[in-house]
Amino acid sequence: MGTEVSTSPTSLIDQTVVPGDVVLDLSNMTNQTIKLGSGLRQDNEVISVMRAGKLRYSKPNKYWVESSHKRYVPRPEDHVLGIVVDCKGENYWIDIKGPQLALLPVLAFEGANRRNYPKFEVSTLLYTRVVKTNTGMNPELSCVDESGKAAGFGPLKDGFMFETSTGLSRMLLSSPTCPVLEALGKKLSFETAFGLNGRCWVHAAAPRIVIIVANALMNSETLSGTQQRIMVEKLLEKISD
Amino acid sequence: MEYVNPEGLRLDGRRFNEMRQIVAEVGVVSKADGSAVFEMGNTKVIAAVYGPREIQNKSQQKKNDHAVVLCEYSMAQFSTGDRRRQKFDRRSTELSLVIRQTMEACILTELMPHSQIDIFLQVLQADGGTRSACINAATLALADAGIPMRDLAVSCSAGYLNSTPLLDLNYVEDSAGGADVTVGILPKLDKVSLLQMDAKLPMETFETVFALASEGCKAIAERIREVLQENTKQLEYRRAA
Repeated sequence: MGTEVSTSPTSLIDQTVVPGDVVLDLSNMTNQTIKLGSGLRQDNEVISVMRAGKLRYSKPNKYWVESSHKRYVPRPEDHVLGIVVDCKGENYWIDIKGPQLALLPVLAFEGANRRNYPKFEVSTLLYTRVVKTNTGMNPELSCVDESGKAAGFGPLKDGFMFETSTGLSRMLLSSPTCPVLEALGKKLSFETAFGLNGRCWVHAAAPRIVIIVANALMNSETLSGTQQRIMVEKLLEKISD
Repeated sequence: MEYVNPEGLRLDGRRFNEMRQIVAEVGVVSKADGSAVFEMGNTKVIAAVYGPREIQNKSQQKKNDHAVVLCEYSMAQFSTGDRRRQKFDRRSTELSLVIRQTMEACILTELMPHSQIDIFLQVLQADGGTRSACINAATLALADAGIPMRDLAVSCSAGYLNSTPLLDLNYVEDSAGGADVTVGILPKLDKVSLLQMDAKLPMETFETVFALASEGCKAIAERIREVLQENTKQLEYRRAA
């Protein structure tokens, strides 16, 4: 969303904000463009907060509220883990933990055509990409990247899926690699998929590895990098005994 | 009966403009999208919010471009001195409606079309001011769930006994037969979202009582802000440590 205002950084940057807080007053600002991310909205002459969290600013002109919740707000190009709820006509209905069910066209797979397309049972777990999120319409998903290749998208077989907060899934997908994943990856062999909607999938050869990895990831949300490494070391000590 | 002694102290030792102690905590129900416990003195309320999620009953949707807000208020059978038998009586239905309308005023329902938000409120201990406590608990739970809000909806009651305006009435004062004014405001927007009175008052007296209740609302809003800021900082501190 572009709004004609100046971008003098507000005093609330990196502070905790709650709904109703005014971030910027547009009435006394010169013509410049700012970009509003999640958690902020323009209300006449002011930019106000609509979700509790930390106000972030990135140069030159982006403002957003960083927060962690259980529900997910779909955004284009987000990678999410969805569960098949129903199949109607030419679309699969997918639960992505959002305000509405999402649509996944049966042709949105690599090499799919009207005669030959993948068939999924209800409750199948899929790794997908959000394509469209227009207001008033169900979000649209796809299992191919921009070039039409599968690129890792599609059904996730076997393994274990668990739900976390959106904040933790963002942390696990962050770059550089999250300390807990780095520490686990050095000692154990496993496969993971994280969706920005707070769903995580773990697959390994042995069930005990799946349990260790899942527990380590779930416990890591409230731990610092050092604490995460210590926790992983303790877990690995227990299984080596 | 004397509700305010010559020194200006009430039955529980408070001054006329003094509130009961407020204790609040968010994230108390693990399965809910947002939850909170709110205590005002001996009144204790738990709130759980689910949503925004796919609308369950299409017939409930009056406006197609707005989210449906559903509210259910109930009192635990052990919440009062004498054990309550009826779970949903007329009073509970009326309070559910009042709370729903108050919360609808602060939720940005237009951002979540074709979805529903469920608010469940349970009074665990009742000692006067339950509807105010419910609105405050619901606000905290909605903020915890990350539901977009215009502002924090806060509420407080005030009354008029022994020719004295009293803030935040307890059960004994509430049932004394004097006027009881419940006010709900959106503090940053400076708007009134709820105003109820259950007896007659002269206009000038009403204005005094209303002003007192509004001041109480602002104090509660400040406390709610602190709770939300504390909750956001907790994650931040742990990760940064």
